[in-house]
Order: sequence, then structure tokens, then C-alpha cells
Amino acid sequence: MSQQKLLLNKLLLHSGRSRLWLSLLSLAAGTTLLLVAVMVWWNFNELLSGKHDDDSLGSTFLTVSKRVTNETMGRPGATIFTSDEIEQVKAAPQVQGVGALLSNRFPAYAVMNAAIGFSTEMFLEAVPEKFMDKLPEDWAWQEGNREVPIIVSREFLNLYNYGFALSQGLPQLSESSIQSISFQLKIGNALQGEVFNARVAGFSDRISSVLVPEPFLKYGNDKYAPGTMTGPSRLIVKTKDPSDPRFVDYLQQHDYVTNAEQLRWNKLRSVVEIVSLATGLLALLLMGVSTLVFVLFIELTIAKAKAAIRLLLEIGYSPGYLVGFMLRKFIPLVVVALLDAMIIAVAIQCSAHYKLQQMKLHVAKFPGWPVWIALGISAMVLLWFVVFSIKRSISQEKIAA
Amino acid sequence: MQLELEQLIPIPLADEVRRRTSAIWARDVLVNKGEYVFVQAPSGTGKTTLIHFLYGVRRDYHGAVKWNGQSAKGFGTEKLSELRAGKLSIIFQDMRLFPRLTAWENLGVKRTLTNSVEPQIVKDWMARLGIADKADSMAGTLSYGEQQRVAIIRALLQPFNWLLMDEPFSHLDRMNIERAIELIKEVVSKNNAGLILADLEDNDYFPYTQKLVL
Repeated sequence: MSQQKLLLNKLLLHSGRSRLWLSLLSLAAGTTLLLVAVMVWWNFNELLSGKHDDDSLGSTFLTVSKRVTNETMGRPGATIFTSDEIEQVKAAPQVQGVGALLSNRFPAYAVMNAAIGFSTEMFLEAVPEKFMDKLPEDWAWQEGNREVPIIVSREFLNLYNYGFALSQGLPQLSESSIQSISFQLKIGNALQGEVFNARVAGFSDRISSVLVPEPFLKYGNDKYAPGTMTGPSRLIVKTKDPSDPRFVDYLQQHDYVTNAEQLRWNKLRSVVEIVSLATGLLALLLMGVSTLVFVLFIELTIAKAKAAIRLLLEIGYSPGYLVGFMLRKFIPLVVVALLDAMIIAVAIQCSAHYKLQQMKLHVAKFPGWPVWIALGISAMVLLWFVVFSIKRSISQEKIAA
Repeated sequence: MQLELEQLIPIPLADEVRRRTSAIWARDVLVNKGEYVFVQAPSGTGKTTLIHFLYGVRRDYHGAVKWNGQSAKGFGTEKLSELRAGKLSIIFQDMRLFPRLTAWENLGVKRTLTNSVEPQIVKDWMARLGIADKADSMAGTLSYGEQQRVAIIRALLQPFNWLLMDEPFSHLDRMNIERAIELIKEVVSKNNAGLILADLEDNDYFPYTQKLVL
């Protein structure tokens, strides 16, 4: 360090190391809290928006159907949604999207082993891809394909494993073992029919059904059940907040039914959102306080060096030079505090990633863009305050006019 | 660098100035580059005030102080710093040293601002003024005489066109005054500079070109 810098250090910076460390610590703590609050909010948002297939938190998708009553029991078309009704549901409060669950109108059989002749009748449904939680890589079918991928509700597997298999003395089956079994899917009637190779491509938490690609179901309906009613009897509804009373009222007024557990679950979501918002506000407050502490430390340092600054200006040092000297002393400290906060935030996000992975919840390994934006904004605000306070304090010491 | 004073009247001394005659207050005065000017000023007539007006430390006056035709009141803080670092140097009456720095460090603060004088020369000057052994003493612990000699050397550690001196030898004995005058003459001459010395009593320390009574 040059002699001049050593002398200026001696003249201008004697506020005490303990005060410096305390103010830096409070700055790092405030920034860390702010970043963590943004991270909590963002992670919950990611979990609740359910971008990952196995996110049980992410289901804002509800399956809605018309209630089967004694009056509708004998009328097959009574529980079918008309296109007008679908449009109305689309316009309902909190609804962000509606997809039709189409079902097969043609006979379908799963044949496990042609030699033994074990076969079972089954039903199939299809839903637009954007409403599915699980989308296997090879989830596609077009006319001429002999292989049909199938997605089965995880609930069905659980019913088999913990209900049927135990009571019947049959072996329990893992997901991978089921996916390795291929079987034949026979559609059509005795006079006219087709056989496809089928396999379970995945399991769904969101939709309690046996799903096939939409083009396959349309192909089967057109070919083997022409002229039958093709409207959906179940809708899959994407909602922002299904716990909203207006949405619940809408369902009740139209006598629609859905999985009530989902509604309760979403009340929790509202609570989580409020908690993360409150944490954010608290963090913002702490960040404000810690910025204030740091800025006061700077102002105290400059106030203590008041006489020296005045004399330095009198013997020819320029205010710009002294401001630059102070900035070179304080800005690296701010950067160190922000870097510390950033490292802690990344470490917390990484550990949250691994911990939640064990609970089958997926959050990113590194903090997402809102965290970086929060860091950027807090850095800019903080640096502005530091520069402003140094300039202001030194200009106060300028020679009185 | 030429100095012009136009109808200069210090606001706090306005009444006092109107009551008596002065060669400077409320007059137009021209001082050319390189002149040696002595301002004789009895106590309380505004000697230090004048020096501070010239150096830009105070601006509470009517009239104008002009350096090379530019009014000093119009100088911003950066422009003032530039003048003080390279064109105007000063020996304050009250020395104004950093009390927590040593004599050597006090000189270092000024020397490193322009780096126009080598450290070895500073050591020589300290030896010439008899304060070489005080280099490592805190300025606050030095006697007034020693502090004054440090302040004199500090004023010479930059390039300048004018050296302003406000009772620069008030704490020195005859022998030390002579040593200081020799050093100042040498450095002022090397810089092709002028000087303005304000003091209570008349003197012939320098070959003055103008003597003005305040």
C-alpha cells in the first residue's frame, strides 16, 4: 500500500474493528434473510404450481364430474358435459384451464397371455397432454403404430398392492416390475377388432384413470363406435386457488363433484402463501434495518474523521478523491457481505433440494431467478445508499462558503 | 498568476473598515505574478481574514478576489482543490497539523499529494530547520515553534505560484527565522513564485515589491 493510502487510513478510518464487524454481520444477516425469504416464496411457488410430475403439493388440477343421482342413473347421457357447460366452467372463478377427459365408447380388453387366455375388460380415458402430471418421453400415438403407451393411476396400484394382493395372497408389484410387463390391448368387437401391444409407461397422481394418448382414443371411438355420444363425462380443471369459496360455491350450485381432499389441501396452500409473504415482509424490514446500521457506521466513521477531512480539503485534497478513497474502502466490504449472503443462500437451497428429494418433492438445486434479482436489487440499493451517504458526509465537510 | 482585489470588504468587519483607511479593504489592488508583498496589519484588522479570503477558505466578503481575472467566489470545490494542490500554498497562523500523525507523516500527507519533492529533500529541509530529530514525534506533542517549522516545510512540498503566509514566524527565535527565510526564498525562487506575507510588525524578511497596511 502506498504511503499516502496508509496515512489516509490512519486519518480517516478509526471507528473500531468491532463496530465494523458488527455492522458487516448485520448486513450479511439482513441480506441472507431477504434471499432466504425470496427463496422460500419461490420454492413454494414452484412446488405449488406443480411443474414436476411427482409433486403432490403441485396439484391445482381437479377432476370435476356431474353428480350421479337417482334421477340421472338411468340416463347414460345425463352426466356428459355439453360444450356450453364446458365454456361455463372455463369462465368460473379461479379456473385457468379446462380439459375434457374422453372415455372409450368401444370395447377394450387387456390380454395378459394369449396362450393362457387371461384377459380382462377395461376402460380407457384420454386427456390433453398439458393437463397431465406425468408425460413419458414416448407418449405419442398415431394411426399405424402397433404400440400403445398407458398411464395408470398410482391409486390403482396402491389398491392392488395394499388391498387386493394382500387379501388374495398375490405378490405385491413394484412400479418398475409393472412397467416391464407388456400385454396386448384388444379393441373392437368379435366381428371387427384390432390388437395392439401395450405397456404401462408411467403412473399418475393427478388423474384416477387409465390413460392412453388422445389420438388413440379418438381413433378407437371413430372406428369402433361411430355415432355414439363423444362428450366428456369428466373434466380436468386447472385452478389457481381451488379453496376459493366462490369456486366451491360454483361447484355446489351446478351440482358438480370433485375430490374434496384436494380443496382442503389447497387451504394449506393459502396459509403457506401468507406465511411466506409475511416472512418476506419481515426480511425486507430486517434488510432495511441492516442497511441503516451499515450506513450509520459509515456516517459515524466520517463524522469521527471530520476534522481530518476538513484539513485534508484545506491542504489540497479534492472531495472527489476522498469520496473515491472511502468508496474503495467500503464497497469491497459491501461486496463481501453480499457474497456471504449469496453463498449461504446457495448452500440452503442445495440442502433443501436434497432433503426434499427424500420426500419426493422437487425444488431446484440452485436458487432461482427471483433470488438473483432480489440479490441484484438489494446490491444496487445498498450501493446507492453507501455512495450517497459517503458523498453527503464528505460534502458536509467542504469548506463553508 | 495575477491577483486582483476589487473593493474587498469583509462582511463581519464592514463597520470597522468604513471607520478607518486601509490600503486593501474597499480598494482596488493589483498584484502581479512573482511579486513579494508584505501586508502589515495590527491586531484585529482582519489579517487572517484576508489570507483566508485569498486562499478560498472564507467567502464572507463584498467585492471580489480574482486570480488571473477569475473570481474566487465562482470556484467550485474541485477547482479550489486543484488550486491548493498546484498553485496556492499556505502557512496558516494556527499551523493546522494532524495532531495524531508524526511530523514526518504530516509532511508525507502533503508531499504524496503531488510527489513534486523527493523524501530525501524533505529530510534535508527538516535538518536545516533543526527538527530532524522530531520526525517521529506526534505533531500534537511538538512545541509551537517545532509545529511552525513543520508547517513551513509542508507549505513548500508542492508546486505553487503563490505562497501565502500568515504570521509564519510568530513562534520562532531570530536564528530559526533566518533559517526559515533562507529556505523559503530558495523554494519560492525555484518555483518562480510570488509571496504574500501578513504580519503584525513591519519587517524586511524578504525583498518586498509592495508593502501595504491593512
